[in-house]
Amino acid sequence: MARRRPPGPAEHPHVGLEVVRLSVLLVATVLLQTTITPNIRILGANPDFMLVIVAAVGLLRGAEIGALFGFAGGALVALALFQPPGVVALALIIVGYLAGRYAETSDLSSGLAPLITVFAASIVASVVLTVAQFLLGREAPVWFVATRVILPVTVLNTLLAAPIFIVTKWWLGGRVERSSEVD
Amino acid sequence: MTRHRAARRRVLAAILIVLSVGLLTFYFREPANGPVHRAQDAGLRLLAPLQSGTARAIKPFRDGWNWTAELFRARSENARLQKEVDALRNSVTQLQALQEQNAELTGLVGLKNQGIYPKGCRLVAARVIASSPTAWYSTVTISAGSAQGVKLYDAVVNDQGLVGRVTAVTSDAAEVTLITDQSSYVDAMVLVPHGRSPLGILAGSVTGDLSLQYVDKAAQVSPGELVATSGMKGSIFVRGIPIGVVTSVAQQDVELYQSISVKPFVDFHTLDLVMVVER
Repeated sequence: MARRRPPGPAEHPHVGLEVVRLSVLLVATVLLQTTITPNIRILGANPDFMLVIVAAVGLLRGAEIGALFGFAGGALVALALFQPPGVVALALIIVGYLAGRYAETSDLSSGLAPLITVFAASIVASVVLTVAQFLLGREAPVWFVATRVILPVTVLNTLLAAPIFIVTKWWLGGRVERSSEVD
Repeated sequence: MTRHRAARRRVLAAILIVLSVGLLTFYFREPANGPVHRAQDAGLRLLAPLQSGTARAIKPFRDGWNWTAELFRARSENARLQKEVDALRNSVTQLQALQEQNAELTGLVGLKNQGIYPKGCRLVAARVIASSPTAWYSTVTISAGSAQGVKLYDAVVNDQGLVGRVTAVTSDAAEVTLITDQSSYVDAMVLVPHGRSPLGILAGSVTGDLSLQYVDKAAQVSPGELVATSGMKGSIFVRGIPIGVVTSVAQQDVELYQSISVKPFVDFHTLDLVMVVER
């Protein structure tokens, strides 16, 4: 069985520079999420910049870095807001990992990849967070979760996906890692 | 090589998930000065100045955004406010009469009028530097902490009324749980023109609505009446801090208590400057 190979070996950015860029992006996203996002209310909900950027990092840098970035981002946001660490981090690990796997195993040339990824990631993360909050004793009516949490946040995040992906791609250097494997 | 990379990827994801669940477990099981809480304190010492600077920098844009959003709501808001003004005007008249009577009676028994906040209470001003962006938590982070004298469970107010209470403190910042949060319970009373003020517990919810619970069915409560803190013995809130106004009252035969909805005076979407009431 022939294995699909990428067009050519991609040049990997210098590790130190990559770490610095990801760290700056992480801190900027945490500040964006905790100070600016709460002031943007559309359709009765706030967009989730952290989720969109984690998905973008996963698409651009693969599953491992996507999952690590998601963990760090979720932990820092929880830390900044005095919330229990681990809840948001869990959801964002899944988002970063799945976005990275999607990028590693699919053709991203269509340009719709960021929108599809963020749309699916928003639903998955919302469901994970809802279940986690329920287990932690925070209850909410199903109609509220569906219409005031999952639906508007998914729509808002999807609308932001393209511009945020473009900015993130510019900041990280725009190199996309492709795995040589086909699952 | 490919199999090795796939295994490494899965192991990393599993480690991160276990780490997340472990952090969550330790956070809830450890005491307030445990390692995870101390790490949170240390991290906030680094982040709080950045959040404070960002909050100041975006204030003009946030005010512009709110101004634009309010333009669209202006007409309906105007009609609603006009009704509220009429209702409040009636309440003020009645309360003025009660105030005169109260002054006379307290003068008779020799009590000093201390105002809402007891003598010796200090008000510490602080700015909101971060807010929870999700519906699950109604909390804000303020720019005052233990270094400024803020303590756990101190009440937080602004010029409109009761905002919430302090639920976590670090040296330079504090978390305030808003009264609209699901975990918030405030002892409250309805200021009625005649008779004793019905007492109840004001509870928040994930939907952001406030409900006054455990109010006896026999109590006469009407929409438009003011709600304030009752300051019961042992309460962290002093008596008389304005909370909001009753918007609806419902009773069901099978229920023991009335179902009362309250609209808060404070606009939690535009919170900026608050005051911590230090006991």
